[in-house]
Amino acid sequence: MNGVRRSAPVDARVTLADFLRDDLALTGTHLACEHGVCGACTVLVDGASVRSCLLLAVQVDGADVTTIEGEAPELEPLRDAFRELLSFQCGFCTPGFVMTAVELLRENPRPSDEEIREAISGNLCRCTGYESIVRGIALAAERGR
Amino acid sequence: MTVAPAGRYVGESVPRVEDARVLTGRGRYLADIALPGMLHAAFVRSPFPHAAINGIDTAAALKVAGVVAVLSAGDLDLPKLRNNADLPGYLRPEFPVLASDRVRMTGDPVAIVVAETRHAAEDGCDAVEVDYEPLPAVATIDQALDPSVPPLFDDVPSNVLYTEEKTYGDPAAAFEGARVVSLTLRPQRVAMVPMEGRGGIADYEPGTGELTFYSSNQAPHGLRVHLAGLLDHPLDRLRVISPDMGGSFGQKTSMWREDLALCVASKRLGRPVRWVEDRIENMTAATHARDERIEVDAAVTDEGTILALDVKMTLDQGAYPLPAMLSPMFGWFARHMAPASYRLTSLRWLLTIVATNKASYGAYRGPWAVETLLRELIVDEIARELGLDPVEVRRRNLITAEEQPARMLTGPTLEDVTSLETLERAADLVDYDAFREEQRRAREQGRLLGIGFSTYIEAAPGPPDFFDGLGFTAGGERANAVLEPDGRLSVYTAQQGPGVGHETTLAQVAATELGVPLDHVRVVHGDTNLVPFSMMGTGGSRAATMASGAALMATRTVKHKALEVAGDMLEISPGDLEIADAMVAPRGDPGKAISLADVARRAYFSPQPGEEPGLRSSEVFDGSTRGGWSGGTHACLVEVDPETGQVAIQRYVVVEDCGLCINPAIVDGQIRGGIAQGIGLALYEDAAYDEDGNFLAATFMDYLVPTATEIPAIEIEHLHNEPLEEVAYKGVGEGGTIAAPPAVLNAVVDAVGGGKITRLPLTPERVLELLDAAVAVGT
Repeated sequence: MNGVRRSAPVDARVTLADFLRDDLALTGTHLACEHGVCGACTVLVDGASVRSCLLLAVQVDGADVTTIEGEAPELEPLRDAFRELLSFQCGFCTPGFVMTAVELLRENPRPSDEEIREAISGNLCRCTGYESIVRGIALAAERGR
Repeated sequence: MTVAPAGRYVGESVPRVEDARVLTGRGRYLADIALPGMLHAAFVRSPFPHAAINGIDTAAALKVAGVVAVLSAGDLDLPKLRNNADLPGYLRPEFPVLASDRVRMTGDPVAIVVAETRHAAEDGCDAVEVDYEPLPAVATIDQALDPSVPPLFDDVPSNVLYTEEKTYGDPAAAFEGARVVSLTLRPQRVAMVPMEGRGGIADYEPGTGELTFYSSNQAPHGLRVHLAGLLDHPLDRLRVISPDMGGSFGQKTSMWREDLALCVASKRLGRPVRWVEDRIENMTAATHARDERIEVDAAVTDEGTILALDVKMTLDQGAYPLPAMLSPMFGWFARHMAPASYRLTSLRWLLTIVATNKASYGAYRGPWAVETLLRELIVDEIARELGLDPVEVRRRNLITAEEQPARMLTGPTLEDVTSLETLERAADLVDYDAFREEQRRAREQGRLLGIGFSTYIEAAPGPPDFFDGLGFTAGGERANAVLEPDGRLSVYTAQQGPGVGHETTLAQVAATELGVPLDHVRVVHGDTNLVPFSMMGTGGSRAATMASGAALMATRTVKHKALEVAGDMLEISPGDLEIADAMVAPRGDPGKAISLADVARRAYFSPQPGEEPGLRSSEVFDGSTRGGWSGGTHACLVEVDPETGQVAIQRYVVVEDCGLCINPAIVDGQIRGGIAQGIGLALYEDAAYDEDGNFLAATFMDYLVPTATEIPAIEIEHLHNEPLEEVAYKGVGEGGTIAAPPAVLNAVVDAVGGGKITRLPLTPERVLELLDAAVAVGT
């Protein structure tokens, strides 16, 4: 769990999102739909982005889980860029976008605007109209070079 | 990134104070708050739009492991609810906090289950047995208007709750002999869809009788007053705290029936009780908006001058008129704003409010937006029918700078309004004439390109006389400032913004005024124990002017007090002192500087005889004395696929005038976000009910919120005149949502070659219908 070995008993029916938030007090991962469309609950499991509302906690037994509270080389450039460009507003969708962007830049360090939009099309934001987020990811990518 | 000279932040896109927590997952939203001993609540809700309740059996639910209590209507001991407004002719039915003998909307709350965990509470909900007897639903405006359909409420005789006709000028004379252009439009219901839904934590402390209520809410004091009244709980022992808000767009300005049930549960059990709704509840049982049927007739001259508008607006307010949400007010605001910056001399407005078996109609970003929708659509229709250019028709009807100050037909003074200038600039930016040529050429190749304009203004906060014709005032805005003993500044605001950046913008204003680094200022908000009273809180795009003005004045007062003390310490007249970078020095003599911290320490720890101990202030700002309008022109360029009816936005240009921007990036963020919602409304979103009243849009699979692949890059240019007064920042929060739908819709109709939109959203299917009709007419 964010680089630290953790273990806990969990009911079979508890989702990963609820486990993170309620059992581990990692409330940075947010729930905005609980049916896998909005992406606010996105975390990384063994490096791959997943909707934690659609995974059961038991499914990450033995896995590496990274949340917004964690670390990754892509995180600091993304945070710096998002901060400079005022990419976000209410912040509720933000952790999901950030984790999605981490995966994007890992897989595609030089994404075009169109590729960025495609990659984040599974994350809903109601405040920004997306452009400031796209620019933030582009700026982080540019600096990463 | 621009770095502001230390101490001068206004006008710069400084990074946000909020982002330190937003970007690290350390925001503290309602669902993140866990209190010792806290219980969890879930609501049993009606699956039927309309049904009688013949019995509620909670026995099985009480036996579910972890369930602590189950309360239904009979257990609450609360008065019935009704809308607060004592408006002649307005039917105000009564209804219980939890449904007792009848449910009137899908999602109507019937019981609250309180348990040790959320899982147990939901298990408990499944075990509550409710004996429903379904009844026919009132599912449409026409059914609500039909006198043979039984009223939904026993204590009012009709489902028509209000009718009002108002006339300005002489529409009868204007229509006589005039050419008439008409439109009938049935906009859809939409949902606000904040990413964070509703919730509440009621925390009653039996030892002190204090009730603390946590709620994501734009108006914490307003909520406190409403709760106190209905719970009969003393205000001095009722505290409302709004934590970080995950969006709202006007939805979270209400007191919910669920809030009252939570408070009763907490008082009964002596423990905190938390409810966090899920998305299905938010879509189904929170509030919806924009559900209005519009019939417009415009009397025009052959040259396209608009002489009069005759509008019939029928608003579907759903089942329950919520206590603090006065449906007629939405109609009044729309009527009040309808002339906008056009030279309109006669208006007739017939407003009808009906009740149906749907979720309640609530405030959504620019709640009066239907006036811009109908006006901008009919302007383009006028152009088409008269064979005129739509930009030219606007040009002929918009007031000029020379005519200002002018009075809107409905009363407010128009001054410093640059609608015409924004229109001309937008036409320039899209290279309008060249586009028309490109459009002609494309059509020859079977490609459908179109352009749509939309010109609007919003009262942000509006001129001093804005509210006169509406019969109420919004009042001044208070801010308190405290210069702390270490020289840092706390500013207390009544604003509770749902993520719009007030913590940053108000700090920019205060830090610039005081002469300290930005991070020496903290903006305090959201806790009614701390912040100034305001029933309204955040709304109406007021904050940029009202809250900034109040923060400025409060900071100025505390600065003058500090300079008095400093003057005494330095033995120099306060008028000769200035503060920069948290140091106080005589103008031109920085060598004599002392720190603001030292000044504060003296004021707090060793005030001199006659000196007030401490450094604090409280000021009220009354708003702009002139002007107070924001507005602009949107231009949308689309290509419509003639096979599929899909609309692709090729370019979207905004020329906006909101006066001086405190933080340009925050301003542009508001515009873009608003436009995204407007595009959603025009093309994708539909909070639909079927003909039996069943709700069809409870999830994001059904309710289509635009993604990054639907919203284009938006070009924004700012225009502004010389400021008329010191507080020259105007609000911009709602303009995008108001102006975007007609810009997009006008563009689509322009692309297909004409036609009248009757229903929204403009789905590909509806676009193809328009196209077929246009082809049939031979355009």
